[in-house]
Amino acid sequence: MSKLNATDIQGFVLRGYNLPVGRYLFLHLEDATRARKMIGQLLGQVTTGQRWDGGKPDSTMNIAFTHKGLAALDLPLATLITFPVEFQDGMKERSGILGDTGLNAPERWDDVWRGDRVHMWLGVNAKSPEALEARCAKLLATIQESGGATLLGSQDAAAVVIDGKPTTREHFGYTDGFGNPEYLGVERSSQPGQGKLLADGTWAPLATGELLLGYADEAGELPVAPVPHLLAANGTFMVYRKLHQNLATFRAYLDEQAALYGGGKEKLAAKFIGRWRDGTPLELSPDKPDFPLTQDPKRSTNFTYGADPEGTRCPLGAHVRRVHPRDDFGFHGKLIDRRRITRRGLPYGAFVPEGEPVSDSEDRGVIFMALNASISRQFEFVQQQWIGYGNDAHLGNDKDMLIGNHGGRGRFVVQGDTRPENPPFICSNMPNFVELRGGEYFFLPSITALGMIALSLVDPR
Amino acid sequence: MPNKSGSLYGLTILSPIIDDEKATPSHDLQIRKYLAGLATDDGSPFALAPGTHLARLVVMDDVIYVGMPACEEHLKSKYLVLESNFDGELDDYLGGLADHVPEQLDSIWGHCVAYPGAGNRQAFIDYMKACQIDTTFYFAAINDKSLPETLRALHTRTAVADFIANHQGMEPARLQAEFVQFVAQLRSEPIPGPGTGGIARDIKTGGRNE
Repeated sequence: MSKLNATDIQGFVLRGYNLPVGRYLFLHLEDATRARKMIGQLLGQVTTGQRWDGGKPDSTMNIAFTHKGLAALDLPLATLITFPVEFQDGMKERSGILGDTGLNAPERWDDVWRGDRVHMWLGVNAKSPEALEARCAKLLATIQESGGATLLGSQDAAAVVIDGKPTTREHFGYTDGFGNPEYLGVERSSQPGQGKLLADGTWAPLATGELLLGYADEAGELPVAPVPHLLAANGTFMVYRKLHQNLATFRAYLDEQAALYGGGKEKLAAKFIGRWRDGTPLELSPDKPDFPLTQDPKRSTNFTYGADPEGTRCPLGAHVRRVHPRDDFGFHGKLIDRRRITRRGLPYGAFVPEGEPVSDSEDRGVIFMALNASISRQFEFVQQQWIGYGNDAHLGNDKDMLIGNHGGRGRFVVQGDTRPENPPFICSNMPNFVELRGGEYFFLPSITALGMIALSLVDPR
Repeated sequence: MPNKSGSLYGLTILSPIIDDEKATPSHDLQIRKYLAGLATDDGSPFALAPGTHLARLVVMDDVIYVGMPACEEHLKSKYLVLESNFDGELDDYLGGLADHVPEQLDSIWGHCVAYPGAGNRQAFIDYMKACQIDTTFYFAAINDKSLPETLRALHTRTAVADFIANHQGMEPARLQAEFVQFVAQLRSEPIPGPGTGGIARDIKTGGRNE
């Protein structure tokens, strides 16, 4: 396959911007004609996937729609009904399938997500808070003048700042952002461990159709996509989830369990997710963190679990092993190549260093945004089978330690060996460390498709 | 080797459903209605009768014509399909069904051609065997343990995991005493019945993902 047309693909799809602050605006479209005109006005400002040869811009802007939003734009019914069912349903309707029940149930979500009013997501990322404010003010002025939409709410997010520098840490203290896949045709420096595993043990990019509509996926099929083809091609679907982190609960639980665990607190914290808090993979360095390793792109994601079938280095239920099992299920990883997602997102809320007073009720967490060609085959499968259930990992009903919806009944087994510093251990009665506060499924169209929507040129015939 | 995998027997039975224009509703619909209301937990006929690991009943209407270039074909009859895997020999298993759940069998197979009823044990066994076809591609996840052994193992796994979780860090002498007591109690407990185990999962299943 040849290089993709990066000028037609929203930049948010092709790359993580690595900009330290962001704001996500949630809009309700008021009138189809005025809303289309507004999109036309915003179109020229959308950040594309084109390379930043002149350095990073001060800010970026991207656009996505819910199915209700596309209906509000008066897209033809013959187009609307060709979108995948899960996207038509929306995330709230899928709560049963996703296990978003109990503490994570839609009744407990933030107001903005409880209704069906969100039509459009406008994502802004920026170099600085000042640049963010300036860009948002300009965008909101355009929106207000157009009369096409009202602002329902917004979500601020920002990289955690430690010692004055933005970092890739999240609130529990783990270094995040190692694991995004590579796709054929997407220009990016290649990193072993981030695509698909081949029979000879090397890694190759995944098929483009795992990320973008209109291209063959890992099965050689075109992902389910709306008609006309031009509306779908170079677009993708985005899952937006606001994940609240119960930091006080997490820290108390870790302390309580670490007092019983013979390997020490930091090792137990590492066993939870499969990486030491600085990001060192347990599989490569089971006994201690190795910071230089995390900085080496040839090594930091370059590992498999074949030599650790019992989980004595990295537990079978560790977060990174569950959500990206690599070679765990045999067949050279082929069973997982159609279950990969691309993650974007940033933390929100104030970072509190360890040892300082903290409360669960403070507004703090991570905005999880996943991009995939098929929400049901990729995100929903991972969420239902690998986060909410343990069968594929041979862990019975156990859920993902970190983000599982445990409701106080969670269990996590740390496999060990006979060495006193690596004992087997069972964590039980786990509460929810993370709670879902809302979210939705979005369609991120190509630049061409945005233009078609703006000019009312979507023709399914 | 058809029908057998390890110590487990894989059974496939196709029974032609009565085609009677005067029946209202038709016999296949009557089977569907009965099956839709059948218990799937410990009240299932396959839980009440001994030996079944997994069983499935399906009403097969016809082969579906998928359009050109396929040729259009039809079955001579609608069929009731039973697929089951179980411990031991076929005659004993079928006899066990006739002994334990004759009413349910009659309610289902009573709509099939030439069904003699479960009241006549040998005639029932002969009928089911006449409808049997070889299970030629047969996979059993657990093929070397009987149903009671499997149920016992699942119960033991859960109990041991609970014991470990509740006794971590305990002083050795007390841990040993409690473990001895735990093992004795576990041994004395009855084997849980089929269809009773497992934790209710608060997740919707049966979608495209499973």
